[in-house]
Amino acid sequence: KLGRPSELPPEPLPNYEGDEEFLRRLHHVLLEVEVLEGSLQCPDSGRRFPISRGVPNLLLSEDEA
Amino acid sequence: DVSGLPPSRQPGMAEAAGDAGLGPAAAQEGAELAAVIGATVPTGFEQTAAEEVQEKLGSASRISRDRGKIYFEVPARSLPQVHRLRSVDNLFVVVQEFKDYQFKENKEDALKDLEDLVKKLPWTDPLKVWELNNSLKKKKTKRKKHNLQSPASREKLSDGGEEGGADQNNTNDQEDCAQNPVAVAPTGGQDTENPQGVTSRNGVEEEEDNEQSDVKVEVQASSESGAKAGDGQTGEGQAKVLRFRVTCNRAGDKHSFTSNEAARDFGGAVQEHFQWKADMTNFDVEVLLNIHNNEVVVGIALTEESLHRRNITHFGPTTLRSTLAYGMLRLCDPQPTDIIVDPMCGTGAIPIEGAAEWPYCYHIAGDNSPQAVKRAANNICSLLRKNESKDSSTGLGVPLDIIQWDICNLPLRTGSVDIVVTDMPFGKRIGSKKKNWDLYPACLMEMGRICTPGTGRAVLLTQDKKCFAKALSRVGHIWRRAQTVWVNVGGLHAAVYLLRRTWERAEERRPFW
Repeated sequence: KLGRPSELPPEPLPNYEGDEEFLRRLHHVLLEVEVLEGSLQCPDSGRRFPISRGVPNLLLSEDEA
Repeated sequence: DVSGLPPSRQPGMAEAAGDAGLGPAAAQEGAELAAVIGATVPTGFEQTAAEEVQEKLGSASRISRDRGKIYFEVPARSLPQVHRLRSVDNLFVVVQEFKDYQFKENKEDALKDLEDLVKKLPWTDPLKVWELNNSLKKKKTKRKKHNLQSPASREKLSDGGEEGGADQNNTNDQEDCAQNPVAVAPTGGQDTENPQGVTSRNGVEEEEDNEQSDVKVEVQASSESGAKAGDGQTGEGQAKVLRFRVTCNRAGDKHSFTSNEAARDFGGAVQEHFQWKADMTNFDVEVLLNIHNNEVVVGIALTEESLHRRNITHFGPTTLRSTLAYGMLRLCDPQPTDIIVDPMCGTGAIPIEGAAEWPYCYHIAGDNSPQAVKRAANNICSLLRKNESKDSSTGLGVPLDIIQWDICNLPLRTGSVDIVVTDMPFGKRIGSKKKNWDLYPACLMEMGRICTPGTGRAVLLTQDKKCFAKALSRVGHIWRRAQTVWVNVGGLHAAVYLLRRTWERAEERRPFW
């Protein structure tokens, strides 16, 4: 969730390799968008990992490790 | 004009006093010459450096027995490309090489021979190359001074202890030299410039002696003329007297003299011959006298030694030299689209070098220490700003990201990384030997998990060779040793291991991720 529409589907469609429009948007999100403040959320556990000044902190706590 | 023997190798007439370094005319002539260049490289990476020279300049190199040096020939107009080599610490132009110089046994005689040698050496052409090199440096200084005005650069420079990212990686950085004229010459006979000035790896105890010597013909206090370091102000219409110093590196156990004595007497003869002024700190010409057993090389420096040393001492003892980082990366032969991870990146020396030289790979840096992550992030910003100033509009990003993580619990998918390259913690400077005992096996396992079976590889630098060997023996099912390079890191004997990932898939024992 970038706070603005990235126009990406929730899952890659079949044959995404040939879909240039999709690839362009994906490339943009992956390599041209920098999250400075925010968080990453684990899709399984829901646990959030903070991003501060562009750097995500993915250290686990004592009990998680 | 590159046919047959290069002019610089032909026995030439002695250089008439005052002819040397006469400004733009000499520089232009210099461009036509074939120059024999000597380059100092991190010990152990001579072959890597030779490959880079072949690739970028098309010249073959000779690797001398005096470790850490390679020699190659290029047209002098290629000097800008020579300065952009990433595996090279320092450059000099060769005046003459003696493969088998016979030293007299008696000290006085041996030294007298060295003195007499000066007027017989072919100085003319190498000095033209030196002149050409100066004019290149001046252009760079102008450009850098302009950039220095931006507050961003000032912020970087004032943040002491920074590696300074890609900017500092450039051994040619005149900006720093102008800023810190103090970061030069040691006092007396102390010299730590050549890290390879340590006992030979082969176990042969060589008596090594690396000292700079000041030729005290003039009183040193007379440096009021305002000449800046490395700023050979010539071509102003009047012949300016050049300042010089001699640096002698001597290795071997059969010499009857010390490097100090050789530098002193050789320097005396140089002063006599050219009528230059001796100056330890504000010199225009640095004459190099390298003696390795019976191999003698006389050269003129093209880069500033002080910068190289500053990179090691000023920015913290554990910051990796960028030339070493480059050598390590080259060793794993990165291919376009490779994912390259440094899981213990520290200040980010390796990934930054990686992103600069291999922009078609994706580089990921990580460390558990918040200070390290912060410094690495700053260094990355410097790299971004540097790219920005080059092409104003297209602010292309850098294929590099930094994450704070735990090396034993990497948030990366199994088998998704092509290359792991890192500087493993040395027990002596960070952590402890006991910690390494537990850390090393855990690291190797986790690095093995993320690395692609079969095609993946790792290049790991460590000083704790015993611990590493033991840890490696436990993970033989995922890592195979392919090559070992013995190196010298800040005076410590270390090793760089190239490992190949076996085809065996890693277990998916993932407690959290």
